[in-house]
Order: sequence, then structure tokens, then C-alpha cells
Amino acid sequence: MVATGTTTGVTTGVVQVIARGTDVAFVIDENAPFDVVAAELREHLTKKSGLWSKGDITINVGQRMLARDELAQVKSIIETNSGLTVTRFWFAPDSLGTGDLRVEAKSAANSSPPQSAPQPAAHNEIVLPDGQPDATAEPISAVASIIEGLKTKHNRNGARNRNITEALFIKSTFRSGETLQHHGDVVVLADVNPGAEIRADGDIVVLGSLKGWVHAGASGDNKAVIIALELPSSRFQIGKYEGVAPSSSRHKSKSSASGPQIAYVRTRSIHVAPFAGRFARYNKGVPYDG
Amino acid sequence: MTGRTIVITSGKGGVGKTTATANIGTGLAMRGHKVVVVDTDIGLRNLDVIMGLENRIVYDLVNVIEGTCKLSQAMIGDKHDYELFLIPAAQTRDKNSIGPEQLREMCAELEKEFDYVLIDCPAGIEQGFKNATAAAQEAIIVTTPEVSAIRDADRVIGLLESSGLHRPKLIINRIAHEMVKRGDMMDQKDVESLLAIEVIGLVPADEHTVVAANRGIPVVHNPKSSAGSAFLRIAARVDGEDIPLMDLEPKTGLFSKFKGMVGMNGRAYSHA
Repeated sequence: MVATGTTTGVTTGVVQVIARGTDVAFVIDENAPFDVVAAELREHLTKKSGLWSKGDITINVGQRMLARDELAQVKSIIETNSGLTVTRFWFAPDSLGTGDLRVEAKSAANSSPPQSAPQPAAHNEIVLPDGQPDATAEPISAVASIIEGLKTKHNRNGARNRNITEALFIKSTFRSGETLQHHGDVVVLADVNPGAEIRADGDIVVLGSLKGWVHAGASGDNKAVIIALELPSSRFQIGKYEGVAPSSSRHKSKSSASGPQIAYVRTRSIHVAPFAGRFARYNKGVPYDG
Repeated sequence: MTGRTIVITSGKGGVGKTTATANIGTGLAMRGHKVVVVDTDIGLRNLDVIMGLENRIVYDLVNVIEGTCKLSQAMIGDKHDYELFLIPAAQTRDKNSIGPEQLREMCAELEKEFDYVLIDCPAGIEQGFKNATAAAQEAIIVTTPEVSAIRDADRVIGLLESSGLHRPKLIINRIAHEMVKRGDMMDQKDVESLLAIEVIGLVPADEHTVVAANRGIPVVHNPKSSAGSAFLRIAARVDGEDIPLMDLEPKTGLFSKFKGMVGMNGRAYSHA
């Protein structure tokens, strides 16, 4: 939508507008609350309205999980505040873990630049129903209802009944230097590399190798567990207890046995045992007390 | 013409970013492309030395960005008969003398004229890294099979992805086959499973690389050397050719097999 690559990055903290050649990407701070994000996004669109010529855009929502009606509201914010038409939403596994809400746009004139902006190969596309889903809504009320939607979500996440907590799925490798805090369970469908940090109020499940530092039950739930296909990490935390892998080689070889492992709190210290189901009786775990 | 701007980065220093930039750039030029390599390591310039163009520097990157010279004036043509140009870094300034937007603008200008714009990124993740990566649409990460280099590469991949540069490619440099065989060095699979990105090249540890750097003639000019041929294959892969990754085990040709037989015979004889 911007014809030249000379657009400078507009940084206001939460929303960053990055221009790469003919592509424009909105990179949004993943820790920002959604109301701030929505307000900033709307502000960007109105302030720079001269930049947004007419055209079709695709929205990549990345990691943030939005309900179908919320997607429709995002569509309406963008369409009301610019001449753009949102044609598709993408959930791209590649961009997971990198930003909350990402808007990638291409100008209609340069609809297919040859190499710029690598196209994600696998997506979960959501096709919106035809027509304006929320045509009557004012942009401000659209933002407000998104905020409401998120507030109720957060309340649910903060609730003690963990059975209804929404899990956050991370579908790409969690890398060194990346941190995540979530008021619920976290599932990583890849490795958690050394130097990465995850704090979850609920359980942490890693369908890969857990080498980074994680804290399950971060809001004080000592019943939370950590489950990983491989658990080479020698330091993690559950509730208020800290686990440190035993240094003796006998224990080490036992605890690093192949197969999924579970870390749990028993008699006020963290134990690690081969995983045998979420509600199995674990009493032969290796104590992780250094 | 719209060229591709590729940043070559690593996080850790000394893993071979500059060598990789010089060799991939030369390799692409040898394949008939118009290539420009940009050294963004302001204050610690090296790329000119590796390419043997040290004595030809008049203007540099900072001069271009500050407008003291034209873009074309700072471009130094390669000694060989290829369409390969270098924009050297300034040696007397620092990383803060340019900004990401300025480099982005310059590369956009270069993309109009060149098939490939390769950016040699400085070590670290500070201003220099931000400058270098802002201008690129693609990234190549260079690492060596060492834990420290891999840790830094992992961090850099995360940073690139968060700034919108997805799917970086990986070069594993300085693989010592003998050490891998003894189990003293991580092999390709270990590195690949840790970093979980596509490997675009395996470069063996090769004395020729050092000799070539000292002479200012990138090792790709010597396709018979193992590193030279590895970099040629990487250039071809960057160019879109589908070449399978080569096993780095030195080929046991007829001659070495013959030598082995003679050796065995000799020993058998002495025992007799």
C-alpha cells in the first residue's frame, strides 16, 4: 500500500510500523494489553490515513487467539479507518511467538512482488462470511467490545478452576531471550531452548525438548505440573518451589531416561518421574533438590 | 529489476560472517549475477581485506549515507571479471553514525540495479545489528558447531523473527569432520535440531579458507578446495537451485584406498 521503500519506521512503543519494500507490517508488542493495541492500531490508521491507499490486505493475527466475531471486529476497525479491504485472515505457524497481532498489507498495484516477504507455507485460514459482519458498529464501540471480550477472557484465565483455563499454544521453537507470561496453561509444540523463559499460572507442557527455564503455577499453584517429552533442563520452578537437577550421576541417568517426563511437587520439593498420564500416582520420582 | 537483499548475521563474532559474505557474493557473481556486498561493520571493517580491495577504498558507507559522495562513487569493483561490487564500512566512525532507515533506503536504491545485495552484519545484537537487519528481506545465519555460537544464533533467530524476518537459513561453518567422527564435535543433525531452521550449507574447516582470506582472494575462486566448493554450492542454493546437502566426509578415492592396502601389506610384511 505504500509505493516506496522509503517509509520510515513509526515507533510509538506498542505498535511498530515496518516497511519492507512495498510491504508494510504492523508489529505489535506481544505483552501489550489488547485495549492499548486496538487503540493504537486505530490511531495509526487514522493518523496516517494518507498512506493507506485502497487495496486488499491480508491480516496475520499470529499468536493472539481471536474469536470469529473478534476477527470481524478487527476487520471493521481497519476498513472503517482506511480505504483497505480485508480479504483474509491467516494464522501462520511461522509467526507464532513473535507478535500478538500482525497486519501484513500489500498494495493492489504491486499485488505479487516476486521475492519480498516470504510467504508462509502452511496457514490455518479463516474465511469470514461475506458482507460487513459488523457494519453498523462504530469503530469505537468495536474496540470497546473487543476489550470487553478480552476482559472476560482474562477473568476466566485468572479463575482458580483450572479446568476451564484456556491454554496458550506456541507452535514454533521458543528461543533464547524470548519470554512469555500467561495466566493459564502453556503448550509448546516445539523445543524450549536454553535462555528462554516461560511463566504460566497453570501447567506447562512441552512437546519437545525443554532446555530453558520455566515456572509452572507461577501465581502460587503448587499443584501445577511440567510435562516434557525430554527434560534436560536442570532448573525450573513450580509454585513456590524451585527444582534443581541432582548432580549425582546415578540420579541424573535415571531422570534423563528417554521418554516423556513429569515434574511435580511432592512433600514440599520438586520430583521428576517418567510421565504415565496426568492423574497417575507418582511416588518414585527423582527429587530435584540439587 | 528488483534485487534480493540478504543479511548475513550470527550474533557471535568470529564464526565467519564476513568470509561467508565474501564467498557467497563472489559465488553469485560467478554465476553471472550483478552483486553488491555491503559491509555494515562500521569501525571494524574487514570485508574489503577478505576481498582484497583494501587499497581501493576512497569513499565508504557513512559517506554515502551522509551524502558526501554518490552511491556509485563508494562502490568498488571486484578485481576479477565479475559484476561484483563492495561498499566498504567506515573505519573511523561507529555503529551509531547510521540508522536503520537510512540503510533501508540505500538498499532499496541498490535493489533497483543489482540482483543481490548482501549485507555483512556486525557481531552483537545492538545498533549495528539493528541497522543491518532492517534493510533485508532475507537472512542467513552463520554458526559454528559450538555451544556458544549456537546459543547466540538461537537468540538472533528469535530477534529476526520478531522483527518480521521469517525463515532465516543456516550455514554451519568450520565443521571438522574428524572431530565429529570422534564424537568431539556436534554434527549437522544436533545443530539443526537445536535451531530448527533450514540448513542451506555445511562448510568444512579448511586451511584454504584462511590462506584465501590472507591473500584477499575468496576461497570460492578455488573450487577444488572443500570450503570453496561448499560456498559455491551455497551460492547456487541461494540462487534457487535445489542441491542436496553434501556429506562432508572426505572422499576415499581409489588412490587412498590403494595407499591403505599398501600400508596394510607393509605392516603384514614386517611382522612376517
